[in-house]
Amino acid sequence: MEEVDRILIHSLRQTGTDVPEDVDSVKQFTSELIVEAVVRCLRVIDPALGNGLSPSLPPGMSARFRLGMSLAQACQDLGYKGEIGYQTFLYSNEPEIRSLLMFLVEKLPRESAEASSQPAGKSALLLKSIAAQIKAQLFLPWAPPSCRLPLLCQMQSPGLSNGFHTQPLSLPHRSRSSGKTLKEVKDYYRDFLLPVTAQPSQNSSVPASLLEQHALDLSAAQEWENEWNSQGLLSRLSPEDYRARKRARLQKRIEEQLRAAAQSCSDVQNASRSGPDLVDLLPSFGGGTVGDQLLTKGTRFTHTEKFTFTQDPEKAVQQMAAAVNSLPTSHQSEEDIRAQQQEELASMQQQLQQLSLHVDEVGGDIKKLTVAISKVSEELKQQEQSNTEKVATIRIKRQTVDLLPDADNNLAKLQALVDASSRRVASLSSQWEKHRAPLVEEQQRLKELCSSQELESSRKLSEIKGLHEKIRQSAEDAKKKEGLYKQLVTEFENLPKDVSRSAYTVRILEIVGNIKKQKEEITKILSDTKELQKEINNLTGKLDRTFAVTDELVFKDAKKDESVRKSYKYLAALHENCTQLIQTIEDTGTIMREIRDLEEQIETENGKKTLSNLEKILEDYKAIRQENSALAAKIREA
Amino acid sequence: MELSEFVQEGLQYLADSGYFNDKAFAVMIEVAFRSLLLSSSDDTVLDNNELKHIEQTVVKHCHSAVTTCILECVKQNADRSTICTCLEDIRFDPERIDTFCSLYQKHKKDLENVLSSIGRGLPHINDASWRLEYQIKNSHLHKVNQPSYLITLSTENSGSRSAEEVNFSCNMEQLQVRALRLSWKEASPATNVLHDNKITFIYFF
Repeated sequence: MEEVDRILIHSLRQTGTDVPEDVDSVKQFTSELIVEAVVRCLRVIDPALGNGLSPSLPPGMSARFRLGMSLAQACQDLGYKGEIGYQTFLYSNEPEIRSLLMFLVEKLPRESAEASSQPAGKSALLLKSIAAQIKAQLFLPWAPPSCRLPLLCQMQSPGLSNGFHTQPLSLPHRSRSSGKTLKEVKDYYRDFLLPVTAQPSQNSSVPASLLEQHALDLSAAQEWENEWNSQGLLSRLSPEDYRARKRARLQKRIEEQLRAAAQSCSDVQNASRSGPDLVDLLPSFGGGTVGDQLLTKGTRFTHTEKFTFTQDPEKAVQQMAAAVNSLPTSHQSEEDIRAQQQEELASMQQQLQQLSLHVDEVGGDIKKLTVAISKVSEELKQQEQSNTEKVATIRIKRQTVDLLPDADNNLAKLQALVDASSRRVASLSSQWEKHRAPLVEEQQRLKELCSSQELESSRKLSEIKGLHEKIRQSAEDAKKKEGLYKQLVTEFENLPKDVSRSAYTVRILEIVGNIKKQKEEITKILSDTKELQKEINNLTGKLDRTFAVTDELVFKDAKKDESVRKSYKYLAALHENCTQLIQTIEDTGTIMREIRDLEEQIETENGKKTLSNLEKILEDYKAIRQENSALAAKIREA
Repeated sequence: MELSEFVQEGLQYLADSGYFNDKAFAVMIEVAFRSLLLSSSDDTVLDNNELKHIEQTVVKHCHSAVTTCILECVKQNADRSTICTCLEDIRFDPERIDTFCSLYQKHKKDLENVLSSIGRGLPHINDASWRLEYQIKNSHLHKVNQPSYLITLSTENSGSRSAEEVNFSCNMEQLQVRALRLSWKEASPATNVLHDNKITFIYFF
């Protein structure tokens, strides 16, 4: 009981009740203390209920009575199932008080339970530590800027002065993708590359740049891991091959996209050529200078046209020179000169027209002739083909004609030849079959091997995947458990050490062991009792039967013999006395049980201190009657 | 604490006694801390006699790896055990780990200051003064009869600039909303004063 009382008193002290130091058990609680404890517990459990009740016992009797009733009502509202009324508080007894206080203490909300029941995720931990830091900082008193010590300066002056600016850093040994670094690059790294902290243009962006570089590396590595584990392993290539294939694929896509964009771009610019190559396309984005190059490829026709025309202008120039020379020198009037020039112009134009007609005709002739040439070449080819065929047939016929004179022999020889060749064909085919069959078998075997190996490899891939998963899972679990362990260790160190839980747990385990032993003993006793009862029943049965038999026997003989009659009387008396004895023993046992029960009841009644309570009740009753009469007198006066 | 491959390679060079003997190691670590804490960037931070006979690419690789590692440790507020586990995985000797951790402890506060100076913040409100005015009438209405507050908040921002003042006027409901937003549990005395005055005003009216 003492541990229970100690726990109760400790919890009551935590709710704010001022329990004096020497009070050790619930037996020593006075009414005031009880009332204060109950009210404080109510205030913690349900502030709405408890705030209306005062923790101290008022002096007036009726006020005390009212307080007791309201407290009883509040406790019943909370769900206390025992019998409770004003008498529990004003005229208390130990067991009732103990059960009431235990009920209230159990109802106290557990503040620490919710905090520790959450498994702490990383973000929850981080938020908690941030909250703790902010609380600590808010706790410091604020000081005006001129009075701040450096420590306060750090927390209270706004210290954020630089934004998060990053600059890309160049790090040595970085380019692993290209395989080998060039010698010049290596020399650059060795001799000229600035140290990392000197590379950003502003010193304040050094930490930001370093952190960003690191985060980029980590996330790239993680991305590669994820991709390799999901797609890379399925493709069954080595990492470098997979990377090379991916790079080629991406380059092709880029080309296609650029081509499509260039098409739509060059359609606008009205150029109608199919894009030959990426290198050629890129100048087409430049714009304006394209159009000049389009006409460099002329057709044969325009070239010939140019050539024929160069001739004619020469002729025309010569003609003009001749015409100029034939002109009469000076002393001609202007009009004449003009008329002459007009005439020459007209004649020139006529000539031009004639020549262009001529050119057209010639062009038409050329076309016709080329068509005729192609036709004729076709016919020539066909003729040559039929020629060769005819030559071949002539040869065969000549040979047969040569063979004709010696017809029979030759026929026989030819026949033998034909037979021999057919035999040879047969033998060759059989040899071929002989070779073919094992090769076909070999091919089948290898195919099966290949497919089974594929099956194996896919099975192993899935195994590997499963193993990866397990590895990742167990690594995560290990990390989580370590984090949890650290957090629990810190929490454990932070816990208050005033109530030693280990003592209680040891005690509880002891009690559990005791109870187990007692249960065993009780079962043993029960089984013993059953055995005894069975024996008693047996013996009573035997007794009855024996007595009945003896009785009959003796009675039969008692009719004849006197001594037998006496012995029969003694037998009957013995039987009756023994039955009486047995009855007495049973009664004694019952009475002893009743005595034990009554003693227990006496003890409990003694604990209730009924007598002192009765005296108190009588006094209070007298006090209430006095108050009533005083109030009635006051009313009558007023 | 996770470190990328590049950083781990650099630290492995550093752990290897063939590349860096003990003196060079100590010099390297000190140079790394110093280069992070300098207020102006210094090109010659790696020009040191001890480091000259080691191949320069390796030196630069290690320098960047160590600076990144230090920044990661400060960023995650790593305690000694985490750093020790991390460095042991890269096979550092115990004395080298001790040297690193002791220097880390020494410079941790300054590094935290460097990291915490990254970012932007709003000005802090230091003080507030108020004036209550009561409008009886104005040029638009004949009878107004409404109180309003003229509030001056003096703020402080990143040290060097002197206190700036923010002036505004608001009526009762707006003041209520703003005072509620400002009222934290353990707020600075200035806002507490504001809160108390607001309450008295409301009760007054």
